[in-house]
Amino acid sequence: MFVVGASGAGKSTFIKLIMHEETPNTGEVIVNGYKMSQIRRKDIPYLRRTMGIVFQDFRVIPTMNVFDNVAFTLRAVGASTREIRRKVSHALSMVGLGAKARSFPTELSGGEQQRVGLARALVNNPSLIIADEPTGNVDPNMSYEIVELLTEINRRGTTVVMVTHEHQLVRDFNRRVIMLEGGTVVADNSEGAV
Amino acid sequence: MKFRSLKYLTLEGLKNIWVNRLMSIASIGVLVACMVLMGAAILFSLNVDKALGSLQDQNVVMVYIKDGITEEETKQAYQDVKKLANVKEAVFIPREEGVDSLLKDMGDQYKDLFAWVDEDQSGSFLPDGIRVSFTDLTKYDDSIKQIKAVKNIENINSSRELTMQIIGMRKMITIAGAWIIGLLMITALVIIANTIKITMHNRKLEISIMKAVGATDNFIRFPFIVEGMVLGLISALVTSGLLYLAYEMTVKQITKVMTLEAIPYSSVFWGILGLFCLIGVATGCIGSVISIGKYLRKEGSEFRAF
Repeated sequence: MFVVGASGAGKSTFIKLIMHEETPNTGEVIVNGYKMSQIRRKDIPYLRRTMGIVFQDFRVIPTMNVFDNVAFTLRAVGASTREIRRKVSHALSMVGLGAKARSFPTELSGGEQQRVGLARALVNNPSLIIADEPTGNVDPNMSYEIVELLTEINRRGTTVVMVTHEHQLVRDFNRRVIMLEGGTVVADNSEGAV
Repeated sequence: MKFRSLKYLTLEGLKNIWVNRLMSIASIGVLVACMVLMGAAILFSLNVDKALGSLQDQNVVMVYIKDGITEEETKQAYQDVKKLANVKEAVFIPREEGVDSLLKDMGDQYKDLFAWVDEDQSGSFLPDGIRVSFTDLTKYDDSIKQIKAVKNIENINSSRELTMQIIGMRKMITIAGAWIIGLLMITALVIIANTIKITMHNRKLEISIMKAVGATDNFIRFPFIVEGMVLGLISALVTSGLLYLAYEMTVKQITKVMTLEAIPYSSVFWGILGLFCLIGVATGCIGSVISIGKYLRKEGSEFRAF
């Protein structure tokens, strides 16, 4: 699913609401069974473990190699070493970075760094992936590769919410599109591009 | 939190010290300076307290027993005084011994003046006495009252003013020492908190990712606490060593020019080391908790706004 809209349309607020970084003044937000109006502060990390987030600026840690960057998510949830090894290898091979596990972010291109971010988001088998303008900092070819990867992840059963302002991408990948304007949904076409 | 997480986070905390080694060295340096001052204040207080304590031990009260009573009654009066709660030591001084001691104290200069004492067959012009020292000088007035109440006590020769001065000085030194230590502890706390704050700003990216992937606040907090505690502990060990060298050298220099019965460092070494370790670890822990808590409540809660 794509979420599109001009600057200030409410795309970021939409993500903040899903991640429980903001709470709505009215209405109810329910994500993966968690009601945002009722969730306790100590339960927020557990809500976030049910989803993965991909950032526009990659946010890979420069002092850690690719493997550790991806393993970071699992360490934060207390996974065992064996589990970390297995899941990270799987996630890296999914994004095509199996051979670069020992490389450091500075040795990778922008597109590869974004794929590290993608591997990190999906390594914990989340039921929802939020991609916040994931193609904003990569070249057009790489943008298509990233969206193709997200499409593949979606095909395997994970919901993917991608916020973007790249209309061409939205047109090329025929998915549900929600258009925001001034904080309101002005169009929702589950058949394809708006 | 799981054991493997604790192990991982402890290692992360230790790694942070090395990664931010310049900052760590600077913090240890300032903390050591702070703790050396604290240690100097403690050692100074202990030495002054010891000197005043020995002065206090010398500060005895002479209790005189009534003249003309039976030997049995004299013994009873002595026993009654000795039994009193705050009496540390009570030594019976027979009248003859009292006079000998007095003459000795006065020296040969006045020997002729008291020549008649030797000729006086009745013994001495002084009554039998008891030399009394107290356990707790703060109960001085009450103890004097109790002695006065004992049967057959004639009078008491005491130096109340000097006693009160000693009590006052000991009290003042204790209070001043506590203030100095308290203020330096706050300084140490601020230093640790600032170091952790800087480390946290250096690791903003990691913290924002940790929050995004669902790390709990405790998981994020733990490495910083380990870092603070280890910095405190290293500072404590360095301080104990430095203080030992500085103290030994100072005592050596002072004893060259004056008589000083200083406390041997070996007698307080473990106490001081333990205290510093405790202060170091506690300030490290509290400083980190304060900094990271503040950070997580404010900037750290908005991981997307990084």
